[in-house]
Amino acid sequence: MSDTEGTGRMIGTGPTIGRRRFLQGTAGALVAPAIAGLPAAARAQDKVELLFWAWTPDTQTQVDLFQKKYPGISVKLENVGQGPPHYVKLRNAIKAGSGLPDVAQMEFNSIASFKQLGVLADLAPYGVGDVGPKFIDWTWKSVTDGGKIYAVPWDSGPMGLLYRADVFDKNGLSVPETWDDYAEQAIKLKEKAPGTFMCDFGASDAGWVCAVLWQAGWRPFHLDGTSIRIAINDDIAKKWAAYWQKLIDAKAVDVKPMWTTEWFAGFDAGTYASWVTAAWAPVLMQQSMKKSFGQWRAAPMPQWQKGGKVTSNWGGSTFSTFTTSKHPNEAALFCRFMGSDPEAARLWNTKQFLFPVLKDLIDDKELMGHPYDFYGGQKVNEIFVVSENQVDPSFEFAPFQDYVNQQLQDEMAAAIAGNGTLAQAFDRVQDTVVGYANDQGFTVL
Amino acid sequence: MPTIRASPSSELGAGGGAATAATARLAVRPHRRIVVGRRLAPYVFLAPFLLLFAGFLVAPLLYAFQMSLFRETLVGGARFVGIDNYVRAIHDRNFWDGIGRLFQFGFMQIPVMLGLALVFALILDSGMALARGFFRVAFFIPYAVPGVIAALLWGYLYGPAFGPFSQLSVAMGLGQIDFLAGGGLLPSLANIAVWEYTGYNMIIYYAALQSIPRDLEEASAIDGATALQHAIRIKLPLILPTITVTIIFSIIGTLQLFTEPYLMRNLAPSQINSHYTPNYYAYTEAFTSQQYNYSAAISFALGAVVAVASYGFMLLANRRGRR
Amino acid sequence: MTIAARTVRSPAFRRQRWLLTAVLGAYFVYTFIPLLYVIVAATKTNADLFGTFGLWFAEDFAFWENLRGLFTYQDGAFSGWLLNTFLYAAVSGLGAAFFATCAGYALAKFRFRGRALCFALVLGAVMIPQTALSVPLFLMLSKIGLVNTPAAVILPSLVFPPGVFLMCVYIEDAVSNELIEAGRVDGAGELHIFGKIAFRLLMPGFATVLILAFVSTWNNYFLPLVMLSSSEYFPITVGLSQWYASATSGSGGAVLFTIVMAGALVSVLPVIAAFLFMQRWWQGGLASGGVKA
Repeated sequence: MSDTEGTGRMIGTGPTIGRRRFLQGTAGALVAPAIAGLPAAARAQDKVELLFWAWTPDTQTQVDLFQKKYPGISVKLENVGQGPPHYVKLRNAIKAGSGLPDVAQMEFNSIASFKQLGVLADLAPYGVGDVGPKFIDWTWKSVTDGGKIYAVPWDSGPMGLLYRADVFDKNGLSVPETWDDYAEQAIKLKEKAPGTFMCDFGASDAGWVCAVLWQAGWRPFHLDGTSIRIAINDDIAKKWAAYWQKLIDAKAVDVKPMWTTEWFAGFDAGTYASWVTAAWAPVLMQQSMKKSFGQWRAAPMPQWQKGGKVTSNWGGSTFSTFTTSKHPNEAALFCRFMGSDPEAARLWNTKQFLFPVLKDLIDDKELMGHPYDFYGGQKVNEIFVVSENQVDPSFEFAPFQDYVNQQLQDEMAAAIAGNGTLAQAFDRVQDTVVGYANDQGFTVL
Repeated sequence: MPTIRASPSSELGAGGGAATAATARLAVRPHRRIVVGRRLAPYVFLAPFLLLFAGFLVAPLLYAFQMSLFRETLVGGARFVGIDNYVRAIHDRNFWDGIGRLFQFGFMQIPVMLGLALVFALILDSGMALARGFFRVAFFIPYAVPGVIAALLWGYLYGPAFGPFSQLSVAMGLGQIDFLAGGGLLPSLANIAVWEYTGYNMIIYYAALQSIPRDLEEASAIDGATALQHAIRIKLPLILPTITVTIIFSIIGTLQLFTEPYLMRNLAPSQINSHYTPNYYAYTEAFTSQQYNYSAAISFALGAVVAVASYGFMLLANRRGRR
Repeated sequence: MTIAARTVRSPAFRRQRWLLTAVLGAYFVYTFIPLLYVIVAATKTNADLFGTFGLWFAEDFAFWENLRGLFTYQDGAFSGWLLNTFLYAAVSGLGAAFFATCAGYALAKFRFRGRALCFALVLGAVMIPQTALSVPLFLMLSKIGLVNTPAAVILPSLVFPPGVFLMCVYIEDAVSNELIEAGRVDGAGELHIFGKIAFRLLMPGFATVLILAFVSTWNNYFLPLVMLSSSEYFPITVGLSQWYASATSGSGGAVLFTIVMAGALVSVLPVIAAFLFMQRWWQGGLASGGVKA
């Protein structure tokens, strides 16, 4: 491990010396191809310029770290939009055949889509594979396929439960450990305090829907070449739909759209007693709420089986590079640094409050043990640390996940508005997605 | 390029002598100067606009039209399909539902918006109200507010639990109002459009009114007319062409409605789905489903509907005008 | 009450004056309430934004902080965006208004072959929604290497068809044919007639189209979103919406709503300034003499 770090440093200090010392070193066959593959440009000491598209705030800090360590490579960071606009720009550039950056932020749920477009570069030939073991298993599995590496993990969003201790206490609720328990508490809350809900059912955000279904064992997609198995409305989905339908019908949960003024206000005012959400949510809540300061707590995500230890992930990004990049070596190096360099990675957590994906950081009790006053002094991250290690690694996103998300949102919203049940919504989504996949030339199994 | 034969004598208000000199010059070489100047002039004046128009509007449109005749899939690439996409669009319920919705929206919104704009422009132009300069600016400001905050803003104003109007209603014992639910959504969106664009149209009418000569008003005064009569009988007919232009562009704008549903989509996801209006449908087809070809076809189909509606209106207007 | 009578300060006149002012005042209240929310929101902290009554201030007055945050966040990107927006809007506005005026003049005052076709073509092209244009325009500009430059935003914005129609309609009445004929008789070339004689009469219309084109470009979101991928070229619309979306990003997001609100307020000010500046052309300069109230 440390040898790899050493050779990494050597690449930057000077090509000829580095190569000689390095070839003499015991670093091993893994890294040798990377050095041998150094393009003429780097050897000629021309400064290599990389273009990097990312939206996470203050990313320049880590970019500066990289440039300091590798003075031969300069990186231009651009924020071209957050989420959808960023991907629109990537797709436009792909269509135009020019303008793609060297490295781009790529959320976990988008990797399959861009892999399908054939533009994601394989990082394995550049020796990125040796940092694999440093990452939490499920994150590494999400970026690899067979022997190929399509991205380097950046941050994650393992799921947990945030709840209002004051609302729970006032209404005699206990922290639910299972989903059945959660439903019971929800009904109880509804009876005791009619204007208060256990949570807001987040159907307006497909990311949330996928995350909670993921935990339940939902595996809607499996791609194999150009064949795809689509099982959106399987039994697990139906069971999940029935579960929430019951709560919706009983008015034990609200059905307002997420991320609106009313929704934020609802949390602060105590209209919603809990939120099943990801590890990045605590900081978000802290920044946007005041009245409920000190009243929130974190707990593990409710389980479908009693004593179960399965969670899922919502969000999280990676670093990807493209086959069109003129500097694949440097781009791979950059991805690797940004994701796995200890100093940079630590900063992601302490400066931008990203939830880490490196085993070293997750296991760092001091880093993850910070008490938060907003949460009554609780060391909130500890809950999510446990969750991170329990994320089931077998979930696969669709190579047209945007389309799937849109359909999920449309149909679930229709169901909530009274047009059938949630279960029927899943049936409709299954039909339209299968139709779309066929249309797009996939063989649907 | 016709040369500008400017000479001091061509200035207006010059004495008769200069005019004679000019006519003398004309007698010598009238033919070349006038014919070249006049025949070529309209094309010269139109050229800059038309060139830019051709390059940045027509060319992309032709490209888009070409795209609409193909189909590109994630697996397999692009192939020519002729009018398949158009046939699909004509049979697409999502498309027609959207059109129907917009006709409702238009009937609600356009008369209110243009009517208010006209009334306010007339009031301001009459010179009889106080603080005219202030009102002029104030009414224009909504148009200048960037759309990015619309969701926060209207999400708040329309909110059933925390919005001021709903809270007022609760305080009066009438219960919460959910502006964005069910049948209330379209009027609520129409309200946003009225708020945004009334000032815009008012400015257009105001400028047109300002160009009406004051002697007409004096003539009306002599005839013993009230300001109101003068406004309705004289001013209004004079700015009818301007009003027609704004109506046509309002029709076009309404049928192409995109921004309001796009910004509000997170506030009423059960209703503002990905095909709420045809233009928004075209957008999601392109940028979410990556069906750029079908998206282009929808856009052209929408253009056809807009053309029918606009020309239909112009025909109606002409017929009534002739009476 | 007749117009003649109103020059006398009669009670009837005063009544009408107050009535009309009240009507305008009522609409002003309607206009102002949403603006009040924006103003008030810009004075709050994010934590207060959702917890306090939206149309009144909170205990913590954070307006100056928000302003400071607005101009310092992301290394002061906002100032750059403000300048960019002004550049795009001013250049496009002036250009669009000028070209629209020339074109409108041609359509209004000349009968030539292709006139009807022109009308039909320009109007027809507007009927197809601009969403259809964004990807093709991007691909075309990408081929000639103009993507991600100010030109990519300015050039398409110079095409303002509503302006052409408005000017056409305006010029028909504002510039009398006699005037033009007189100029021709005097031996003036067409360009001279347009520039020296007609243009002065067009000013109110020109000013109107100018302010409309200016604001239209100022508020344009999709064109710059598609064309630009460097923050240094962004206009306010794209920049602010990035910051706005930051809160809902999930991982790594920062809640920036109140800064965005402050940004929205700041962004309205130059437009108001431009409007006030343009207003002078609505008074005066009319061929038949006399300045309107």
